[in-house]
Amino acid sequence: MAHARISANLPPNIDPTKAPIAFGRRGLPKLNEELQSPELLTQQRALMALCDLVHDPEKVYQMVEIGFLDNLKTLLRHHDSTIRQKTTEVLYIMAMHSVGRQGLIQNGVISALAELLDDPVDICRKNTHQTFEMMAKLPEGAVDILRAGLIPFLVLKLKTEPDEIQELILDTLSNCLRVEASEALANDAVTILKEKLTHPSVAIRSKAAWVLLEIGTHPEGKNTICEEVTPVLVSLLEDADPEVQASATGALMFATVKPQGRFSALGAGAIPPLLKLVAEETSKARLSAIKTLTMLAEVPEGRRTLLGHTDTFQQCLNDPSEAVKRAAQIAIRVIQWKPF
Amino acid sequence: MYDRRVVRGNTYALQVIPACTHPDPLEIQRQRETRRRALARKRTKEQEQSRTPEPVEGREHVCVQTELYLEEISDWVIGIDTECQTDAFLDRPPTPLFIPAKTGKDVATQIEEGELFDFDIEVKPILEVLVGKTVEQALLEVMEEEELARLWAHQCAYAELRNAELAEVQRLEEQDRRYREEKERRKRQHKELLQKQKETTEKIAARAFAKRYLADLIPSVFNNLHESGFFYDPIERDIETEFLPWLMTEVEETLERKVLGRTMLDSLIRTVVEKRLDAFSSQPSFDQTEEPAEEPKPTDIEPQVAIETDADDQPVTEEKETEKLVAEAQRPRRISFMLHDSDQAETEDLETE
Repeated sequence: MAHARISANLPPNIDPTKAPIAFGRRGLPKLNEELQSPELLTQQRALMALCDLVHDPEKVYQMVEIGFLDNLKTLLRHHDSTIRQKTTEVLYIMAMHSVGRQGLIQNGVISALAELLDDPVDICRKNTHQTFEMMAKLPEGAVDILRAGLIPFLVLKLKTEPDEIQELILDTLSNCLRVEASEALANDAVTILKEKLTHPSVAIRSKAAWVLLEIGTHPEGKNTICEEVTPVLVSLLEDADPEVQASATGALMFATVKPQGRFSALGAGAIPPLLKLVAEETSKARLSAIKTLTMLAEVPEGRRTLLGHTDTFQQCLNDPSEAVKRAAQIAIRVIQWKPF
Repeated sequence: MYDRRVVRGNTYALQVIPACTHPDPLEIQRQRETRRRALARKRTKEQEQSRTPEPVEGREHVCVQTELYLEEISDWVIGIDTECQTDAFLDRPPTPLFIPAKTGKDVATQIEEGELFDFDIEVKPILEVLVGKTVEQALLEVMEEEELARLWAHQCAYAELRNAELAEVQRLEEQDRRYREEKERRKRQHKELLQKQKETTEKIAARAFAKRYLADLIPSVFNNLHESGFFYDPIERDIETEFLPWLMTEVEETLERKVLGRTMLDSLIRTVVEKRLDAFSSQPSFDQTEEPAEEPKPTDIEPQVAIETDADDQPVTEEKETEKLVAEAQRPRRISFMLHDSDQAETEDLETE
């Protein structure tokens, strides 16, 4: 019988681990069928081919139309770890495109992915968290994650996962908590984040401070932060890394909105490092530092201290950024306000 | 399979096939007749013999004879075993090169360098395409990365701005809340102050009014009490409550005695007069003097009253009294009047006494 293959040697550019992709429009439907085949090798090869194809947004759109996502959801529960790993990778790359994100939300993939949070294989979990992080950047995605009740699990995972996964979890949390923080507060997230603020890794410190910032935008979050975290944040203001400084200043900015926060910040001696941050022309934290000092200036002791430093704010008026100029003007006005 | 044409088995044991292939017509006829007879015999035999059951509906019994296809299984084919062995391989000498005889013409051609194409010139477009595509792909990837980095930076800046604005909003909210609360507190304080002031003025006014209203309370109270007799002079009271009743009783007693005396006197006088009447009844002229003496009495009484007020005319009054006493029994009303007059006279008497 004649075969399509002419010689026993395969052509030099074929990857034997990938399924051959059919031409044109037939490619994805064929892969879809192969994914449902009972044979393990076929499924694996189809997934490898899919991983390559999914970088193209048009293919992503086609995949969503055909209904790939249901098959992928079924494959998430497969017993073979390679299949799970490749499926999560495909979902992650899909989530990087806007069409893919919409498709993932519509097909409810997030709740299916939630089961993989406890997967024994590291790479599967990493891909899952990467997918969550991508989805959380979208407002509907963040709402979806909140509705699936994933926040308590994510907060718990912060304690156990390795560092790089922790960074992903912190990113996801910061985007989700922007919408609503009550679930996280109920699960004692602030204590865990407080520990992370003293982590040796720079990225984790700055991201943890960012999550605290997002928690602080909500009123109930502010109370918790004011009580416990303000001294640690003040100590982070003098950290070597500018990212950490920026996030810590941002978190302090929201923590000092409430009077107790202001008093605890003043008590921890927040004004000198903040002034240093404002004086630096190129710091990222300039705007946040000016705002925080504005908040502190509403307290009498703060005002007294800051009256001697108004020239720092005058310098800020020359900053190229419009927002910084405005913030400096407001700060000067608040510092020089008198009750009569 | 048995094929009649193929001879199986012993060829020399087989019967000789008849040489002539055209049979005599007589022979043919005879053969036909014998066949017919055999058939007839068969049929009779069949009819006599018990038949097999009738075929089922739709089926047909067919006689089949496999005679033509019979094979003797036990036919032993005579076979002979022989062996054969090839010689060992001998080294075969290589076949000589086959060089066909030369035919045709010999023609030679040679491509010199530079005649066909110039490699450097020709390779340029290919190279350009290759390099261009590679560079383009690389540029695309770098641009994508740069775009991502730019987007990320943009997002960070936006996030910062957003956070700053949000913080400003919350700060202003907080400030506003503080001011509002302070205002509320001050308003409440001021209201309380005003309330207190109002109460105090009302109290003062009420106090002043009450004071004035009750200013003459005490005198009026005392007046009222005094008028209703709560403050009494004890001696006066004593006199009123004890002395005067005693006096009245004594006076009553005295008057009763007087009345008694008078009654006694009346009765005495009556008896005397009756006696005299009896004594003088024999002389009826004295009756007329008595009657006119009685008639002017009502008119006499008034002047008598006027007269009696005089304390000097005591004896006259006594006389008049005795005259009156005669008609006492008939004029009880006047008696009291007279008694009153007599009382007065008595009191006068007493006084003079």
